[in-house]
Amino acid sequence: MKIFITDNTSKCFFTAVYYAFAEKNCLITSDSALQPTFDDEIKLVETDEEKVARVIKKINSYDNSAAESINLILKSGDARKEQTAFEFIKKLIEYKRPIGTAYNLTEVVLFNELIYKITGEIHRIKGLLRFTECADGTLYAPYSPDNDITENLMPHFSARLGGQKFIIHDLKRKKAGICNGAEWIIYFADQAEIKLSENQKIFETLWKKYYKTINIEFRPHEKQMKNSMPVRYWKFLPEKHDL
Amino acid sequence: MIETDKLEILTAGAKYDVSCSSSGSRRKNFSGGLGNGAASGICHSFTPDGRCISLLKILMSNDCLFDCEYCPNRRSADVRRASLTPDEICELVINFYKRNYIEGLFLSSAVFDTPDKTMELLYETVLKLRKVYLFNGYIHLKGIPHADETLVMRAARLVDRMSYNIELPSESSLKLLAPQKTKQSLLLPMKNLKYAITYDKENKIRKNRALPAGQTTQMIIGASPETDGQILKLSEALYGNMNLRRVYYSSYVPVVQSSKLPATGAGLLREHRLYQADWLLRFYGFTVDEICPENQNLSSEYDPKCAWALRNMHLFPVEINRAPLEVLLRVPGIGAKSAYKITEARRFAPLNFEQLEKMRVVLKRAKYFITCKGKFYGTDNISQVKTALLTNGNGTEQLSLFSAPEISLFALSGNQ
Repeated sequence: MKIFITDNTSKCFFTAVYYAFAEKNCLITSDSALQPTFDDEIKLVETDEEKVARVIKKINSYDNSAAESINLILKSGDARKEQTAFEFIKKLIEYKRPIGTAYNLTEVVLFNELIYKITGEIHRIKGLLRFTECADGTLYAPYSPDNDITENLMPHFSARLGGQKFIIHDLKRKKAGICNGAEWIIYFADQAEIKLSENQKIFETLWKKYYKTINIEFRPHEKQMKNSMPVRYWKFLPEKHDL
Repeated sequence: MIETDKLEILTAGAKYDVSCSSSGSRRKNFSGGLGNGAASGICHSFTPDGRCISLLKILMSNDCLFDCEYCPNRRSADVRRASLTPDEICELVINFYKRNYIEGLFLSSAVFDTPDKTMELLYETVLKLRKVYLFNGYIHLKGIPHADETLVMRAARLVDRMSYNIELPSESSLKLLAPQKTKQSLLLPMKNLKYAITYDKENKIRKNRALPAGQTTQMIIGASPETDGQILKLSEALYGNMNLRRVYYSSYVPVVQSSKLPATGAGLLREHRLYQADWLLRFYGFTVDEICPENQNLSSEYDPKCAWALRNMHLFPVEINRAPLEVLLRVPGIGAKSAYKITEARRFAPLNFEQLEKMRVVLKRAKYFITCKGKFYGTDNISQVKTALLTNGNGTEQLSLFSAPEISLFALSGNQ
């Protein structure tokens, strides 16, 4: 089997699609943990702008919203993301029309499931992200999401927080979205040293108190709580740490 | 700065209000302002009782003049009293919002002076929040019965949602348990707000629109003798006549000892069934008469849709590849999302049983009511269907709805 290794960018992926489309049995991946067997043929893909443009043009000619979904799925934390997207593109070219709702096809169901996981996490983090106020008034939010979604969160918070300076820091991918109150950029950021504002502790305590009081004790339903707010997100939630 | 004790008292007083949704408003932020509305609503945390926290739910004061029998803050109760100033509330909202703890404010209050004075202070708070603190996030304001109409209308142009709780499902129960509130004092403002919303909509008013997220209400279930049929009839009328977005049901809990109130709670299962029926009314095209006759209760063994399907077996099975959307929505095990997926997918190719499974249709219930390409996977034996739906579908699922075994027992019986 031919294995195309990409550098985890969408352009490289589209170049790989160009090469892989002619192959009968192949795999596209950016997974560094991949263990090939001895009859696998490994090919490192290098981005080729011309080929990227040709693939995207072809996709757009059948469904002009598909490229957006494909770019989104490439942000997934799932190791099969490239292959899932590739299978989807193959079906799209076979059907020659939008297939986003063709739930009868396994390829489409798998593609939509991955998309659903990413959009689901984006929505969830919009609620579960927690900012701490720094001494200079900047808001800082560390988190480590399953998918690479910092870019998708920035527009939401920049519209919401108005002229406020804020930073969203993905500790897992060492990436930070930094907003100066008007514009935002994505930056590489390993560690951050912050000095908390005077009020931070007070409002955190009030919030913990609120969380404890609003609960109706004789209606316990922990399973529901954990379904909606999985334990892996608790690390960054002040209310899940004791008063 | 607000004290922790005060926050505790005033939160505890507000926590039995069920409504916590923050959906329906697209309020925009402007430069220098803080916050905006998210049409889908955003939940910011979940408490161990499984409910979400989306809004900072708080009372302005719990020092009440009214003496409603069921309320822990009623005049004759011996509880700690506290009040907040508008500025204290604003400061709390801004600081919680900035840290992304909440999606907005849910502000309610006990009637601590005349209803007009109370409403005035609530109005002052939301006015300050919008105009001084430049807050554009979600605000849900509770209406005070008997308060001045102009004040209510002014407040309605500042907030996203308002609600008057009708508290009890009939006028006679209201008279008995909440003597200071009358049917008129609750329904009249609701109607006026509805007119304001309709006026804005018809005249395409965009700026300072009244209640972009509409109105809701809440009632207590099981504190008075009304049947589920009566309750659902009332809800249907409220959705129809008042254009409410939601009716919330809150199962009665004996927090207050009184000779006029039952000694045991109503049970969470009854509340759950009412919500299921409510959803069928709003999203599945059912009418109350189909789900539950006026003087009866909903079945505790089957969910309302299963119960309806079992009473109407002559309508089934339906062919998945041909049945219209309205019919698909009536099949147990097929929800609104699955029904949409089926209608979309079958335009590409006829569907079979395995494909339905991949689309996450609940086949253990649906298989008795559908055919795929003419093939039927269920059974003709009605008693077999009944037991299958009971043990596979509901029996186990209902119990797992509540975490601990003693809770499920409590949920089923209502006895603590």
